[in-house]
Amino acid sequence: MSMMKREVAWRIFADEFNNSTLEAGGESERSPSYVVTPLGAMVNRIYVVGVLTEVENRGTPEEPMWLARVSDPTGTFFISAGQFQPEVATVLSNLEPPIFVAVVGKTNIYRPDEETVLTSIRAETVKEVDEDQRNYWILEASKGMKNRLEASAEASKMEEVSTQELIDLGYDTKIAEGIKKASEHYDNINFERYYSILNDSLRYVLPEYERRAELNRSEKKGTDSSLLETITETMKSMESETDNEDGVEYEEVRDTVIESEGITMSEFDEAVTELMRQGKMREPALGYLKLTL
Amino acid sequence: MNEKELAPHIEDINRALKGKASTDEIEKEIQNFQNYGISLDNAKRAIVKKFNGDPSLLSVSSEKKINDIRGDEKGIDLKARIVSIQDKTIEVDGNEKTIFYGILGDDTGTISFTLWEALEVPLEKGDTIHLKNAYANTWNDQAQVNIGSRSNIKLLEDDEVPPFESEPQVCDLTDIREGMRNLVITARVLSVEKKVVQTDNGEKDLYTGILADETGKVQFSAWHDFGLEEDHVLRISGGYVRSWRGVPQLNFDDKAEVEFLDHDELPSQEDLRENTVLTISQLARMGGAVDAIIDAVMIDIKTGSGLIFRCSECNRVIQKGACRIHGKVDGEADLRVKGIIDDGTGALTAIITKELTEDILGYDVEQAKSIARDKMDQDAVKDELEERLIAQPLRVRGNVTSDEYGLMLVASDVKFKTVDVEAEARKLLDEVCV
Repeated sequence: MSMMKREVAWRIFADEFNNSTLEAGGESERSPSYVVTPLGAMVNRIYVVGVLTEVENRGTPEEPMWLARVSDPTGTFFISAGQFQPEVATVLSNLEPPIFVAVVGKTNIYRPDEETVLTSIRAETVKEVDEDQRNYWILEASKGMKNRLEASAEASKMEEVSTQELIDLGYDTKIAEGIKKASEHYDNINFERYYSILNDSLRYVLPEYERRAELNRSEKKGTDSSLLETITETMKSMESETDNEDGVEYEEVRDTVIESEGITMSEFDEAVTELMRQGKMREPALGYLKLTL
Repeated sequence: MNEKELAPHIEDINRALKGKASTDEIEKEIQNFQNYGISLDNAKRAIVKKFNGDPSLLSVSSEKKINDIRGDEKGIDLKARIVSIQDKTIEVDGNEKTIFYGILGDDTGTISFTLWEALEVPLEKGDTIHLKNAYANTWNDQAQVNIGSRSNIKLLEDDEVPPFESEPQVCDLTDIREGMRNLVITARVLSVEKKVVQTDNGEKDLYTGILADETGKVQFSAWHDFGLEEDHVLRISGGYVRSWRGVPQLNFDDKAEVEFLDHDELPSQEDLRENTVLTISQLARMGGAVDAIIDAVMIDIKTGSGLIFRCSECNRVIQKGACRIHGKVDGEADLRVKGIIDDGTGALTAIITKELTEDILGYDVEQAKSIARDKMDQDAVKDELEERLIAQPLRVRGNVTSDEYGLMLVASDVKFKTVDVEAEARKLLDEVCV
């Protein structure tokens, strides 16, 4: 008599999703498992619209394992599709990045070692879309995030987080349960940071912001390495001014470089990821960046 | 609770503890727990645990009242009256099985129930029963009673359960739920028609249609000629709610009072028809709705969509020219969409029938057939529907029902929704400003 009800497809920004380190459910084959985000979304299915930036087949032609990256204004989603998603594999193999895509899929948390938690999406549907659909998704994801932020803020005022009290305040049962779970797992959620992410994301769909980003994009074409250099130079001068052995604050570098180069937050993040991949930079402590010697 | 009433419970604990505590000890413990206001069931569990016993061995539970049931209890002992009962055939592991569902009532309230096993003695509306070892769960945030193979039902004399007299309850239309009674509803009649139906007491006139208030719409059945006409604004006192395929419907009969109010008490018919966009999570709580409007995105299109063929005998969808029942037949071409729409609060299956599907595609069944023929692929039309519908913001309208597979909507209208994202983003920015 268990109801096989279809799981809702959450609209969640990459930043909130990728910062998730908690799983719930999945005790038996029949009970679905959820990724619980810091703001209390209990996500079994996710709906994402963003820019496909990379796609490759890491498997064989017979047993394909397609991996893809999809960026939104806040970060990057990691997407996979194997031989059990043949339709998705076909679509992915025909897409050439960069291109706007919509992805529906099941969420997954993976722990390669004790300290690392990686989130990903096993795609059920992938479709090429246009910018209007992407902007509409950003709007929906923002509305959802605002709702969870407000509910989480209410919960943080309670001595002990109560699902019933949240429901009485008008929040959905699912949100209330998720926030209760999140409150028992995540310490010191930085609401200010999430509010600033929400602000940035909403500005992303405004023309005055978009024009600036586009301008930068066209100027920046083929200058990726110079951006990496700029970041390295900025870091050097900042490191020389600090005694902190963990390096310099991520946000400080980011704000400086975004200001001087007129790039977006996600472009900055991608550059930093690239530098780390090249082994030129590390993150010795959460929120700190340091150049390797 | 006197000694005689307590005796079976003491014996029950004794059994679970296999003699680890004396009867006197147990009695003293029960008293102690009850002095702290702990319910007998909880006290029994705690006592068994205290003496290192296994609480799951307890089998006698204390009698419950309906409004005490929270939705997670096992071993429920309940005396109640059957307010309504219906049967339904479901499929379990490929076999058909008849189950029963309806509403139980006592002097404290009403609750939905499901009876999962065949009945030795047929139960009827109005019967008074003593239920033992039933269990509760929740569905759409409401507790309900389940009667399974290990439960026991005994018929009682009529007067063993006092009747339920609820206070009149003022209620918005989106808040009505199965089993509610003595409701006071203020609404405008959007439509009404007279029907003649067969009942146990012979033919009866039934006036049925749709009522609306500012929160939503509901199907109604009036079992008395109140002289209702379209556009009347009414206050109905004494309505009660029955569900049909999960959708709550308002009923009222000659015992109800209908008052005709001023025309301006509620917004116009047009406004009431158009103004209520519901979220799918609201619809799930309600169990369904009549003429619902939903803003959502289509995220999946199921097989059996696009160009399909139906059996000319029974209208079932056929595969490879053969009907499940009638074998090889000439199929009649049809177009439809069976898709999942999702608004971020929930998901439902939407059925879009021929005319609307033709509108979406911009061509008719005949053209669909020739496209499929040219491409030598019956799925060519489904592919085109995916291209047009997936990830597209839609405004979908129709009746929503529910069953064990969830919510289903049969679309009466589908529109591509245009959203002024920029304006909405600015509005949100104003609200969040840090």
